[in-house]
Amino acid sequence: MRRQTSHLDPDVLAEFRAGLITGRRRRAIAAHLTDCARCTAADDQLAELSALLAAIPAPVMPESVAQRLDAALAAEVTRRDEAERAGARRPRDRRRAPRLARRPTLQLVMMRVLVPAAALVVLAAGGYGLSLLVPQSSSSSSVAAGSAAEPAAASAAPSAAQANGLPAPSTTARAAHPGIQKSTFGLVPSSTDFLPGTLRSQLEAALGALAATRQAPHLSGPLEACVQRLTSGVSPGTVKLAESASFQGRPAIVVVASSGSGYLAWVVTPGWVAPGCSATSAGVLARTTLPGISAP
Amino acid sequence: MQGADGPPSDTELLRRHVAGDSEAFGELFRRHRDRLWAVALRTVGDPEEASDALQDAMISAFRRAGDFRGDSAVTTWLHRIVVNACLDRLRRKAARPAVSAGDEQAFEALAAQGSDPARATDTRLDLNAALQILPPQQRAALLVVDMLGYSVADAAIILDTSQGTVKSRCARARARLLPHVAHLRGNRSASETVSPAQGGDA
Repeated sequence: MRRQTSHLDPDVLAEFRAGLITGRRRRAIAAHLTDCARCTAADDQLAELSALLAAIPAPVMPESVAQRLDAALAAEVTRRDEAERAGARRPRDRRRAPRLARRPTLQLVMMRVLVPAAALVVLAAGGYGLSLLVPQSSSSSSVAAGSAAEPAAASAAPSAAQANGLPAPSTTARAAHPGIQKSTFGLVPSSTDFLPGTLRSQLEAALGALAATRQAPHLSGPLEACVQRLTSGVSPGTVKLAESASFQGRPAIVVVASSGSGYLAWVVTPGWVAPGCSATSAGVLARTTLPGISAP
Repeated sequence: MQGADGPPSDTELLRRHVAGDSEAFGELFRRHRDRLWAVALRTVGDPEEASDALQDAMISAFRRAGDFRGDSAVTTWLHRIVVNACLDRLRRKAARPAVSAGDEQAFEALAAQGSDPARATDTRLDLNAALQILPPQQRAALLVVDMLGYSVADAAIILDTSQGTVKSRCARARARLLPHVAHLRGNRSASETVSPAQGGDA
């Protein structure tokens, strides 16, 4: 057998070690390793690298994170218990049943559709009303969402007091990011800063990422009521994405709903979630349709 | 597995949760959360992002527990959800144009550190940092296999890919880390044999 004369690339050695190289090539590499000190040293180091990685002690979860997770879980448990009670009272309404948060239509989202582009409208941006959502953490808002769930679905005009009347929790996280809330009313926190010029591509990326996780938003409270008004006449109940993100550096809520074979998207300020919210009220920063999504 | 003596199994806790037990999921999650935290932190590389991802994953697991079919261990299923949540966050982050150059910058910064002998003092810290130069998919694979010790078969479930892909991602990740780690460890033979060139000279 012909000896391999040149030194082995680390990639090749790593593949060799992982068993990805077979047959004659494998034999040639093995032969080379028997009499090449340099490649043998590299091979040893690859073995040591894995051992080194295994020996790194796991980082300890900070207490603040543990507390935050406990609070979020408690809120989720409360939400489920409330939903079960509501479900028991109204057996026909299964929308809020636990573990059935995704409605059937949401499980069938196919992201490969192509639809014609339509209008992009950017309305006046208002910096008002951020106080409505900002002070709330995921725990308190989710608890509130649970208790407000039943009326919120039917309520045409959710009261700001309902949201503001909550006790202000001690938020441990996000102190440096006052504009970005935790999953208030079912919003998924996002670090994306949406921009007018790239809004569509950013939304497509977000939808594509969402499709990978197959998670559908589970809106609640005033936000659910407002989004229902936003999407009314389009295709209510088909909200695909609801994120608390930024728009041009300012806190914003991004909502995407399916409509026919396409998608409609809105960017609103957090303060838009208030009595009188509508598709044309102040606080709607941008609207667009998604021309096409070709996610994996 | 309703152990009369001893704590309930993961599967039993999950079953109780699905049946409506308010405490079961919390007990299950607390049982594994340090390990899941380690996965999240190392996958996304930032504590704030990691806690966001872990919370997303926890809520997702809570709601989707009824989907668990028992064809893998509960911990495998949990890890899969956490890794998915983390990669999802990284994808969204990558969708932002402003950070598209971040990986290369981090790479250059680490490459510069690697040649500084004073940096060899804390291998752990530097190895954790070095992990961040890897593409997310490679990092996740290396994490699951080398750091968590999962079999390639289980890793394939967690990463939702084939075993061959797991192996090749791990191999590429190890090869890419090697020059950094060889320096950092101060391995005598390493510094002169591996780092000057990546092989190829006859």
